[in-house]
Amino acid sequence: MRAWLPFIIAGITNGSIYGMAAVGLVLTYKTSGIFNFAHGSQAALGAYLMFEFRERMGMPWPVAMLLALLLAGVVAGLLLERGAYGLASCSLAAKVTATVGLLVFIQGVLIAIFGAPSIPVRPFLSQKVFELGGTNVRVEQLIDVAVIFIAVAALYLFFTRAKLGLATQAVVDDPALLGLAGISPVAVRRFSWVVGSCFAALSGMLLAPALALDARLLTLLVFFAFGAAAVGAFSSLPLTYLGGIGLGLAASLTTKVIGEMKVTGPIQSLPANMPFIVLFVALLVLPTGKLVERGSQVVRRPLPPVILTRRGLAVTTAVGLTVALVVPHVVGARLPIYITGLAYVILFASLGLLVRTSGQVSLCHIAFAAVGASTAARAVSVGFPWPVAVLLGGLVAVPIGALLAIPAIRLSGVYLAIATFGFGLVIQRLFYSSMFMFGGRFEIRSPRPHLGGLHTHTDVGYYHVVLAVTVACLAVMVLIRRSRMGRLLRAFADSPTAVDANGTNTNELKVLVFSIAAFFAGIAGGLLGPITGTAAAASGIDVGGFDFSVSLLLITVLFVAGRQPIFSAVLGSVLLVILPSYATGATAVKWNPIIFGSLAIVAALFGGRSLVEWLASSRRLRERSVAHSPQAERTPVPRPADLALEGAR
Amino acid sequence: MSLTAEVPVQSTDAPDLVVDGLTVRFGGLVAVDDVSLRARGGVITGLIGPNGAGKTTTFNSCTGLNTPSAGTVVLGDRTLDGHSPAWRARLGLGRTFQRMELFDTMTVRENVEIGREALLAGKRRWTGRLFSTPAEAAVCSTEAEEAMEQCGITDLANRTVGDLSTGQRRLVELARAMAGDFRFLLLDEPSSGLDVGETEQFAAILSGVVDREGIGILLVEHDMALVRAVCSYIYVLDFGKLIYEGSAADVLSSELVKAAYLGSEAAEVE
Repeated sequence: MRAWLPFIIAGITNGSIYGMAAVGLVLTYKTSGIFNFAHGSQAALGAYLMFEFRERMGMPWPVAMLLALLLAGVVAGLLLERGAYGLASCSLAAKVTATVGLLVFIQGVLIAIFGAPSIPVRPFLSQKVFELGGTNVRVEQLIDVAVIFIAVAALYLFFTRAKLGLATQAVVDDPALLGLAGISPVAVRRFSWVVGSCFAALSGMLLAPALALDARLLTLLVFFAFGAAAVGAFSSLPLTYLGGIGLGLAASLTTKVIGEMKVTGPIQSLPANMPFIVLFVALLVLPTGKLVERGSQVVRRPLPPVILTRRGLAVTTAVGLTVALVVPHVVGARLPIYITGLAYVILFASLGLLVRTSGQVSLCHIAFAAVGASTAARAVSVGFPWPVAVLLGGLVAVPIGALLAIPAIRLSGVYLAIATFGFGLVIQRLFYSSMFMFGGRFEIRSPRPHLGGLHTHTDVGYYHVVLAVTVACLAVMVLIRRSRMGRLLRAFADSPTAVDANGTNTNELKVLVFSIAAFFAGIAGGLLGPITGTAAAASGIDVGGFDFSVSLLLITVLFVAGRQPIFSAVLGSVLLVILPSYATGATAVKWNPIIFGSLAIVAALFGGRSLVEWLASSRRLRERSVAHSPQAERTPVPRPADLALEGAR
Repeated sequence: MSLTAEVPVQSTDAPDLVVDGLTVRFGGLVAVDDVSLRARGGVITGLIGPNGAGKTTTFNSCTGLNTPSAGTVVLGDRTLDGHSPAWRARLGLGRTFQRMELFDTMTVRENVEIGREALLAGKRRWTGRLFSTPAEAAVCSTEAEEAMEQCGITDLANRTVGDLSTGQRRLVELARAMAGDFRFLLLDEPSSGLDVGETEQFAAILSGVVDREGIGILLVEHDMALVRAVCSYIYVLDFGKLIYEGSAADVLSSELVKAAYLGSEAAEVE
């Protein structure tokens, strides 16, 4: 028992911090209907701010902490409340993209200012040690656990006893009614966001001394909170808190067990990944009735996509192909960047099929590409011809996409987004290093093809190979979009219920679309490896290899790039891959997340319309609405969507 | 005037929809309590009752959107229990929704065509799920034209559905159901949000559909003028229980029904 105690104490301490972060997350979700993916980066923000005030400005730690809480908790909370209110009637994709964009943005800013390498942090709470039940406990640990317990308990009592607390339960369901009852819904929302943000920031500050300042790691660690929140079914505050402690304990104890067993392989990373596994499993087994979607059911009417005319399409295609064929002659040494860009066009187009066409949300798209990249590389190494190997990469990604369709069938909306997020992390952290994928060195050789005596292994040659594959993939995706399945997918995005009621099983549609998207992402992955000759798990490309953060960047950029299926894919790739290469080296990588994060937030707040689309169509839409003058021919009964629009104005 | 009142029968091969002993519970709330009804093929049957009486819940049980705790639903000679909504649709049971479920970003024509296309796709296997044959595309197109024609929305065919008025949207949803080759239709408050003129037009369309296609319709409706005009038999629900059934004239003159429901509603309509 004595041997276990230190692990139990460490587990409870860490678990308390995760629990607090999770309680803050659930609180804001319950009162606004917006699931804040940026919660973790708020924690990082708090920790960095405290570091700045304390170490660089020389303030005493309590002052530094209070100031950091004021900024990362109170001020950020108030701003988030405004943003969340603006998002309330937006589509799910807009809601998810906005907070994912915020995550990318905050993380980008922190890395731009403080740098990516981690910075050690001096502990601020007492490190004195006392004995408890035969083992040593630090005063810091005791304070952490006690303070968090008091904070969470006070919040819980407040919710079950006080009037304002009870009001938070009602504020999502019917803010207007709450207003009539004499309680300002705005006050309730502000309160929740401020408390939720303070909890996030505080958890970051408490974790920092043990972990050091590392924007990526801190952001990721508070994703532990997602697991805890899942234990509480994204609803119960006490269960969420206990879930956090349970996760902390489980992670700590399995660390000990696995350490003693001296096993190797993926299982070693099990403790660190416990929360993602718990999150994923909880979403798979929790009764769907428990997972109530919060937030307004009145969704702002989606705008029809801007469709090019047949002639416009022909002209654009011709211009695009010409540009693509001229590129190798003019860009010189940058050609590998353009090859990457082509593969990213496939990635964006396949993500667009999933997100834009069929209205699903996926935050793990790069994981499919990773599967494709590693499979293709391994297939080549065991002697498959190169084209077959790339195709195999796509095919192996299919069952994995279909696997992801299982939560997609059970879950809808934001829970699906969370599940895909957890899924991507599980694949990356448990399987990237396995011998099926990149192996323990996180990279494998991925040679370029030698096809039929052509110089396809040179930059120019390989560019043309990838161009041909890209054009073929895009053509197939256009065909799919225009086929029966494409029509059904578009219908499905608007109303799954109606598709079912007319005879097509939407579960099958989900499996199909996830499989197809995974297939093309796998192909794109297979093309990426040979650019450098090495398929590597987390390096190689400027945007970060196959790290899960690329999935987040992909969806934010796609959101900025518009809804036109192929054009948005090309534009997305230009924005994410090509343009940054022309800015001077390190700066571009630094600014990328900041720019795309903020653009995605703005795009989401502007009614889910991308900036590009807004620029392209604002004039036409204005003319059309004047021509039809919808008010004149409308019946006196307004539709809920119209009311929502009016409310938003 | 008893519950054994003679049901008007019209000779037809269209299947009857039979609900037997249906009970639906949401937690402790009994939304539908031991409801049995028979909606005959070839005629329009009304299902009326105050808000919250369990009408839409009954519809959802018929189309597989909820799980009843007891009871069976039979269409013709096939029992529907335990099957998916899509399966029931393929068997011939179509419906519309009180809160219209339309494809807002698509045109009217696309919406109506999907009424048939989703049915065809559901019945095909493998590539038939993904791609349509030219013959199928032709069927979808002609059925959609016909349905839009019958509903008088042909001139809206290229408009985006999200831009239409409530009345027009109701007609699009009806046209989509009509394009779908269904043998029985459940219509959930199709006239809510329509003005008087549109409602009269709606009654004519409904009667026309039944006469031409010989299908059966079960109609949930608050507009008593519409109910009186088209329904040959009416069931009345209140607090999840069937409280009355009979011909339109019987029901509308029943004191029991007036007390439960029509008192306030009739005043609104007249």
